[in-house]
Amino acid sequence: MADRVERLTNLLALLLETRRPLTLHEIASELGGQYPDAGQARRAAFERDKASLRDIGIIISSETFGGDRAGEMGYWIDRSGFELPEIDLTEDEVRALQVALAATRPDSAIGEEALWKLGGAGGGVGGPVRMHLPELPSLPVLRAAVANRHPVQFVYAGMPRQLDPWGLLLRDGFWYVIGFDHDRNDRRTFRVDRCDGEISVDSSVQFDRPDDGVLAGALPTNPLLLGDEVPHEREALVHIARRRAWLVEREVGPERIRDRRDDGSVVVALPFTNEDALRSWVLGFLDDAELLEPSDVRQRLIEWLESVA
Amino acid sequence: MAQRPATDRLRRLLIVLPWLMEQGEVSVEEAAKRFSIGVDDLIRDLELVSMCGLPPYVDEMIDVFIDEGMIFVGIPRLFTRPLRLSEVEAFELLAAGRAAMQLPGADPDGSLARGLQKIAVGLGEDDTGLLVINPTPSMVKELTQAIEHRQRVRVRYQSSSDVEPVAREVEPFVAFSSQGNWYVHAHDVRSEGLRTFRVDRIESLDIVGDAEHVAPSSMPEPGTWFADADIERVTLRVGPRGRWVYERYPVDEVSVSDIDGWVTVCLPVTSEQWLARLLLRLGDSVEVVEPSAWSDVRSNAAEIVLRRYS
Repeated sequence: MADRVERLTNLLALLLETRRPLTLHEIASELGGQYPDAGQARRAAFERDKASLRDIGIIISSETFGGDRAGEMGYWIDRSGFELPEIDLTEDEVRALQVALAATRPDSAIGEEALWKLGGAGGGVGGPVRMHLPELPSLPVLRAAVANRHPVQFVYAGMPRQLDPWGLLLRDGFWYVIGFDHDRNDRRTFRVDRCDGEISVDSSVQFDRPDDGVLAGALPTNPLLLGDEVPHEREALVHIARRRAWLVEREVGPERIRDRRDDGSVVVALPFTNEDALRSWVLGFLDDAELLEPSDVRQRLIEWLESVA
Repeated sequence: MAQRPATDRLRRLLIVLPWLMEQGEVSVEEAAKRFSIGVDDLIRDLELVSMCGLPPYVDEMIDVFIDEGMIFVGIPRLFTRPLRLSEVEAFELLAAGRAAMQLPGADPDGSLARGLQKIAVGLGEDDTGLLVINPTPSMVKELTQAIEHRQRVRVRYQSSSDVEPVAREVEPFVAFSSQGNWYVHAHDVRSEGLRTFRVDRIESLDIVGDAEHVAPSSMPEPGTWFADADIERVTLRVGPRGRWVYERYPVDEVSVSDIDGWVTVCLPVTSEQWLARLLLRLGDSVEVVEPSAWSDVRSNAAEIVLRRYS
């Protein structure tokens, strides 16, 4: 049997060079003997090749003939559909990308291949500071949908969602997708790692994105305000012991300090919508923090502690 | 030896060929090395495509021949341009680039920014401002400067077991983020060895002099560095509301969830204090499986905290 790479290369060349769509019969006769003679086996082999080419990013276009060949399919490949457009990077720019990959995605075979296509090579050396990006299989699909303004569908917390994805954010180690949720008719934020199943993209539609800056304020810097349901915002008062005061002040900002006591402890005022997140934050300080208000949340925190004491 | 799959070989060829055409002639060894492919594999695949052709076979489709370790490529007709970047590759490059733009020292008008802009525009998918990565804390910038200038620094560091921040001298080697937290690998003067510190636990940093130690040739990779250390483990049963534990913290393993959504998780414990905080936050969504020495950690911690509320 001939090497399959040879057949794929010839098929690719034929469909690139042809000036008109070719039927499978014509393809097989041009490639003289590289496809099986029997109709069904030939079709199966061709479909397999089509799928292989698609896997590496080459789409075989097809159309159905009319007239005396009505019903037959014709095939060709559009060169502009798979060739890299001219991206004229300078050596400096290629090197900067190399270093960026080494700093954020060391040993990434995918990144190395992308650099090859752009005329560079892998093997960059990371500097003294590195940011490791969490990987998720759905991120590339979402990024393309964001860039092309295509709506997406996915399952979140057991519910199907239809979203116009406006942007992607990486915050505190988690990727979020933010956009317009058609079911809720409002802006929503979703943790990408909690989207279940495949993300399906509707590339027949292009949505309108609101003006720039939607992402800047999209995700509260305060994790106590995170959560995809949005009940009303409340304020908590938390007393922090002296030895943790500096940590808290750095985390929440000096403007949240409501009271500085003589013993060096502080009381901070924190807006929150997510009670679970607030309780978790307070308990993270053990007995160096005490939730003073609101009293109903304080009461539930005490019950939480009593249930495990 | 197992043959590489046909699609992998073709994909690699379609990357290698445009480059070869630009070079005109190049040694087999150099080409093989550049594209991380075996010399024999490369020769075989190039010889194969040089034989590819279509009727009436008047000219070679791909004019390539190999002689005495050199590859010669004639005037190209096909496969002169590389394949488009796939979605995965585009994400890889752009996300890496945008993340690196947040690192200390990145120049908003520098070559990385320009390269990213060219790629985004070239792909016709300008996502500038739509892929946002959170900024790096200022303490990381201070550490990076100390690393670049090879300085020893005195930090006030809040460890998970100390009551208050403690001054210690370190020589930082590399700062990195992992799962949302920033860390620094450094030579710790007091213990005379490599230690890893959490950057957000550094209260203050002062430069005290020149560093005397060089970074070891290999440092534990993020994600694995807990695995290398001689750190105690705890095995927990964690309920569905506690899934953030294994999303957030490095864990050795997570079992498949049972019918009620509970899983068994084994994870490193840096100190008993740390474990106490974790267990309290999890409340009744967790049970300690082993070691039994830690089975009272949660209730003891709960009693201590409750005293503040009485």
